[in-house]
Amino acid sequence: MTTQAVAQSLASGLLMGLIYGLVAAGLALIFGLMDVVNFAHGEFLMTAMYAAFGLYVAFALDPLASAPFVAAAMFVFGAIVYLGVVRYAMSASANAGMVQIFATFGLGIVMRGLAQLLFTPDYRSIPHSWLGGKTVQVAGIFLPAPQLAGALVSLAAFGALWLVINRTDFGRALEATREDAGAVALVGIDRKRIFALGWGLGAALVGLAGAVLAMFFYIYPDVGASFSLIAYVTVALGGFGSVFGAFAAGILVGLVEAATALALPPSLKYVGIYALYLIVVVVRPRGLFGSL
Amino acid sequence: MKLNRRELVAAAAALAASVNHAFAQGAGEVVIGAVFPMTGSTAQTGLDAKNAIETAVAIVNDKVDLDLPLARTEGLPGLGGKKLRVVYADHQGDPQKGRAEAERLITQEKVAAVIGCYHSAVSATVSQTCERYGTPFMCADSSSPSLNQRGLKFFFRASPHDEMFSKAMFDLLDSLRKKGNKIETLALFHEDTIFGTDSANAQTKLAAERGYKIVSDVKYRANSPSLTAEVQQLKSGAADVLMPSSYTTDGILLVRTMNELGYKPKAIVAQAAGFSEQALYEAVGDLLQGAVTRGSFSLDLAQKRPMVGKVNDMFKARAGKDINDNTSREFMALIVLADGINRAKSTEGEAIRAALTATDIPGDHTIMPWKRVKFDATGQNNDCDPVLLQYVGKKFVTIFPEQAAIAEPIWPMKS
Amino acid sequence: MQDADPRLNARRNNLVIACVCVALIACLPLVVKDVYAQNVLVLTLMYAALSQSWNILSGYCGQISLGHALYFGAGAYVTELLFTKFGVAPWFGMAAGGLVAATIAAAVGYPCFRLKGHYFVIATIVIAEAGYLLMLNWDYAGAAMGIDVPVRGDSWAKFQFLRSKLPYFYFALAFAFVAWLVTWMIEESRWGYWWRAVKDNAEAAESLGVEVFRSKMAAAALSAFLTAIGGGFYAQFVSYIDPESVMSFQFSLLMALPAVLGGIGTLWGPAVGAAILIPLTELTRSFAGGSGKGFDLIIYGLLVMGIALGRPEGIVGALSRRMRRSAA
Repeated sequence: MTTQAVAQSLASGLLMGLIYGLVAAGLALIFGLMDVVNFAHGEFLMTAMYAAFGLYVAFALDPLASAPFVAAAMFVFGAIVYLGVVRYAMSASANAGMVQIFATFGLGIVMRGLAQLLFTPDYRSIPHSWLGGKTVQVAGIFLPAPQLAGALVSLAAFGALWLVINRTDFGRALEATREDAGAVALVGIDRKRIFALGWGLGAALVGLAGAVLAMFFYIYPDVGASFSLIAYVTVALGGFGSVFGAFAAGILVGLVEAATALALPPSLKYVGIYALYLIVVVVRPRGLFGSL
Repeated sequence: MKLNRRELVAAAAALAASVNHAFAQGAGEVVIGAVFPMTGSTAQTGLDAKNAIETAVAIVNDKVDLDLPLARTEGLPGLGGKKLRVVYADHQGDPQKGRAEAERLITQEKVAAVIGCYHSAVSATVSQTCERYGTPFMCADSSSPSLNQRGLKFFFRASPHDEMFSKAMFDLLDSLRKKGNKIETLALFHEDTIFGTDSANAQTKLAAERGYKIVSDVKYRANSPSLTAEVQQLKSGAADVLMPSSYTTDGILLVRTMNELGYKPKAIVAQAAGFSEQALYEAVGDLLQGAVTRGSFSLDLAQKRPMVGKVNDMFKARAGKDINDNTSREFMALIVLADGINRAKSTEGEAIRAALTATDIPGDHTIMPWKRVKFDATGQNNDCDPVLLQYVGKKFVTIFPEQAAIAEPIWPMKS
Repeated sequence: MQDADPRLNARRNNLVIACVCVALIACLPLVVKDVYAQNVLVLTLMYAALSQSWNILSGYCGQISLGHALYFGAGAYVTELLFTKFGVAPWFGMAAGGLVAATIAAAVGYPCFRLKGHYFVIATIVIAEAGYLLMLNWDYAGAAMGIDVPVRGDSWAKFQFLRSKLPYFYFALAFAFVAWLVTWMIEESRWGYWWRAVKDNAEAAESLGVEVFRSKMAAAALSAFLTAIGGGFYAQFVSYIDPESVMSFQFSLLMALPAVLGGIGTLWGPAVGAAILIPLTELTRSFAGGSGKGFDLIIYGLLVMGIALGRPEGIVGALSRRMRRSAA
């Protein structure tokens, strides 16, 4: 193994890690806000990818250009899911944790079924996008343009999220609701509205991730499964309740995946990620940056 | 509480029992069971299989002017013109569900035979079940070499298994080597499922026998979000030939990642699967100019045997795409099975089994480039040579073996 | 037996009801002769037992595991490896599988039981997934090819039967009854009391002298042992196993679902849940799955969602609450 190959692996791992972070960001936001793990996260991603694909087919819109539209559509979708499903799951009188898991898990199955009904189970992909197939070469290291763009979108999304959370009234309301949902009602913040907006925002982030992935990944009803477990591990590794934990954890997961694939047969590369998670939480039971 | 539980169990049982015989064999028809994945990640394969089988059923049931067994007659003359009907069941890629569905088809739908199942793991349990009930199982499109080595009497496979497929791939390499091409090193790229493992095992064995060196053997997790590290290994191996065994999803990601990391293999010789699917070429076809895949089927055959084109048109009218490696095998499996049932003049399992063992269909009465259909003692047809196809322009051209080829291979592939 | 103690009375009644149910179910094959329906019955009983086992750790002790496929797979693989490689009868294989699974559960639990909430849930998923990947790559155990169990005719010694479902049916019934009985015995034992205390509030329990860590370990080992018996049974029943079909994440969810539907942490919940869920899913697939349009997924998903939202305390929980209310 040459240094060149190692450098290439780490660079690819870093790019992929930023994308993992972006995929996990929405999940982390929703969890941080209201302690709900969205077990339909993979299906949210699938929906966003179909949306990007649909805009490409209908209006020849490149995924990079359609990303804001996909995010907007997913925002509405996320808010609807909160108002139509999650709201009731959160007010469950018993076993709230299990109810949330299985309500969102059931929702995910329905979404997969609907995708199969509407789009058939055939494999789709966007054959020609602006960046598809293009590569930037730096010192002999190949940086694929779609992943590079994805990494930049990821950085921008996390930056914007930081601004929203720390610099806006909405962000302060989010933070306050997270810390004490009961008390905010006293100061006139509508908890349900904040939660609906939070779900919208979380889904919009998934929308960005979906549009980015549509540039280089294939699309079919079960595509979410490829990413969802990694997203859960990323969020938990970063620490539930910390959006920036997810960012850091995403990068770490990408790098560890690349490193494991160098050291072990690639079919075992996820064992490295799983081991990383276990080691971290055994040493530090609230993840890297968790607030628990 | 007591009533509730008892009622629930009883109601469920009654519900299940009430469907018993509901769809039992009608007087004027012969029912065949088809067990395929209809939901889940391989659902498209199941839907395509359904179209292929329905095309074959239409040819058997109606009068069609084709050189296929039973085409020019209506229904099954051996059974007084009875029509064929196929009942479909979904196994979702799960061996347990496949087994249960096969049992349901055999006991409730009274099917005369079962056809399936795409996933080799499911074909393993379904063929076991069929054996126990004495119902013939026609393995349409599972290519695991171990399937016919289990001493089953009711197992039949008209199409090649992975060792035969891999052998054809190495025959091509040998012939190219003889013509002066430098082919020394191979790279295997295979997924961690039964299909990938079988394929890689066969290829590893053949490479050793015929003096090729495997410089990278990359086994990867199916449906990974990223194949960067894997492609990195392939690239550093820089083998003369890349031999992928991947389904459509990973195939698309593999080709894209190779392109992005600037890896241009000198040649690709693929173990079909994803590399015979239209979806893959729609996505990355322009990066695969000159790629070779093995196949059971070639549309080029239509030039020598016009009937192949007609069958393809019939299939296309249903499915909106050309017949491919899988669908051709599913189509032929039903034709061969129907021929057996017709000659058995009975829907009894043992009679059909006896008739199938006596099957002898000449190659030009199939849509395949085969010599003939004739089963050995294990139920395997050994006269079904695969072909090798090269992707040129926007279609596949048969390049091997010579008697089926219509063009010389382009070697190495264009980059 | 004092009639004055309503708790004891209820306990005795439960046992009587269970025995009557078992007797009635045991007579079902007299009516249900169809093989497919019998197959559904076997699966229903098996999932009732598996869910009951899951319920011990996740329901009673409150440690939600979505990685029970690991123990199921351990049971299946130990049974079949011993059977196919060493000719050990599946009866011993299942017991050995149970012990192996209990050992794994203890080894996994040792570091993981300090984790709380979703950290623990994700840890169980991740460990099971790692086990799945290792089995996919372990050539001795057949790797992805799995193990094809040779079936050479009906035999109780080898616990394999060509066509008859009845032996499997009675085994599954006994298995479900044993799992139920274990839960019944534990409910009012010291362990049961400790587990509920750990579930409600581990810190408070600790201060009251409950050995929280030991409680969790015991619950995990027992739960894993029973689950692995189910795995061994399943392997014999299907006579073919591969990592995909016995160790995938789906399985972990399928084991939890009946208990969630019927009522988590209740004695009757898993059985009631399985009796509704398994026949429904089987029938949905058999009659809607062939279409290839995804209707079976939509129906199944709506069902799971509706159950979780509509009956958060489970059917048994809702019923017993109503009964308490009408009694009051």
